[in-house]
Amino acid sequence: MTQADVLTAIDDALETGRAADGDPVTRELQELALALRADSPEPTREFGEHLGRRVERGFPNRARSKPPWWRQFAEPAAVAVTILVLVTGIALLARGPSGAMDDSSGGSSGGSVAVSGAEDAGGGGGGRTALGSPGFAPGQAGRKIERTFALELETPVDRMQRVADQVTAVTTRHGGFVLSSSVSTGEDSSGGDFDLRIPATEVRPALRDLGALADVRSQSQTGRDVTPAYVTTRDRLQAARAERKSLLRRLEAATTDTEAEAIRQRLDIVAGQINSLRGRLHGLRLRTDYAVVTVSLQAKDGDGGGAGGGSFGDALHDAGDILVATAGILVRVLAVALPLALIALLGWAAGRAVQRRRRESALA
Amino acid sequence: MNQAVVETARLPAAGPAEGFAELYERTFPRVYAYVASLLRDRSAAEDVTAQAFERAYRKRRSYRAARGSMDAWVFGIARNAALDELRKRKRRAKLEGDPEDVHAPATDDQADIALRRETVRAALASLSGQERDLIALKFAGGLSNGEIAGVLRMSESNVGTRLHRTITKLREACHDAG
Repeated sequence: MTQADVLTAIDDALETGRAADGDPVTRELQELALALRADSPEPTREFGEHLGRRVERGFPNRARSKPPWWRQFAEPAAVAVTILVLVTGIALLARGPSGAMDDSSGGSSGGSVAVSGAEDAGGGGGGRTALGSPGFAPGQAGRKIERTFALELETPVDRMQRVADQVTAVTTRHGGFVLSSSVSTGEDSSGGDFDLRIPATEVRPALRDLGALADVRSQSQTGRDVTPAYVTTRDRLQAARAERKSLLRRLEAATTDTEAEAIRQRLDIVAGQINSLRGRLHGLRLRTDYAVVTVSLQAKDGDGGGAGGGSFGDALHDAGDILVATAGILVRVLAVALPLALIALLGWAAGRAVQRRRRESALA
Repeated sequence: MNQAVVETARLPAAGPAEGFAELYERTFPRVYAYVASLLRDRSAAEDVTAQAFERAYRKRRSYRAARGSMDAWVFGIARNAALDELRKRKRRAKLEGDPEDVHAPATDDQADIALRRETVRAALASLSGQERDLIALKFAGGLSNGEIAGVLRMSESNVGTRLHRTITKLREACHDAG
């Protein structure tokens, strides 16, 4: 007989209470099954009645067994994890989009540069960086990078002047200066534009502070590597200075007036070249040591400034903004919560497996 | 019958312990028999049985019919409680030994029946803990192979194979003991 036949025969015997299979071995197994069934322990009548009464009453006198030691920590741990998730999410939100403008290049040299002086349109290959990229020429100290940042801020009309003052204060605090600015706070049109120069080493915290002054509507950054132009100009300046020294020595040694006059004429030309190159180098240093930051201040929709804000389109626009902002918050919270949930799930599964194994070990 | 029990258990708030009372009436003797077979201690078996039914009552809303019958669900709870008790009391050694007081005295049994019973009990002692657990679920608990598979979290065919192997081994042990 097959295994399935034997098992079926045993089930038949248990159901009918008789061992009647034709095969002697199977019949013996049937008898064994019936003997095992008949020898099953039976509860006492008292216990059955007592437990039955408890069942009828819904176990009112719950005999609380002592909970495991870790149970008391489970609830505080859950609260702590929840708080951690919330704090992390809020911290991520507080960082805001200004973090996307962070520049980690650190590539500009720290030479002191005078504010005055004409800027020269220096050459050099241009390389634009995408918003949120690691930075300009990352990891290449000594590169000369010309940085430009544009920040569009949005604030209510009644706070316009205050924010404008704070833009200037932030710029000054980070060692920069305001090259030009214009602010209007009228009923019909409110806004402001700032052209700032901020030391490259300070531009990251400065942008963060500027972004915290009002809602950031948009931001962009560009970078251009002007190292080739800088190096060329510097080398040409050194060569011109060397030539001037040489000409001066030749002038001292000149024996004829004609020769001396020719050297003087050449010295004038070289002096002009040196002045020009020095100015160009000066301009390059100014543009690389100081980042160009333009801040555009705009009145928030619905807060005056000619924006209106009461139309159905505005409402749709606002609703869209709210949805986008909400989605952004959700994505950030999920980015923190999902890994934690995954870890918790794995921990829970591992805990269950360990508990199951421990239980089964009682039978081993 | 199972279906009726499941349906009432899905509506535990309909009345005080309705549905669960039916489940209790139907499974109580078998659950006790299973737990007592495993623990081999009448007092501990009563405690664990009561504890298992109370747990089942408290957790009755977590029962899902898709995971198996309600009988198997209750037996799973009882098995966990029994294994916890075994571990707690470090009764592993006793599990291998002779029964203590779970069986009623066989004063009025005929001699050959009593002899047969003692032979089976002696043969049971030669089985491993897992084999005794399987035998208890099948014959004391009265579960089908499919329900045992749900309790032990293994396939039904695997349960059948193990059951066939175990009862064949038990038969040989009876021959040796006899």
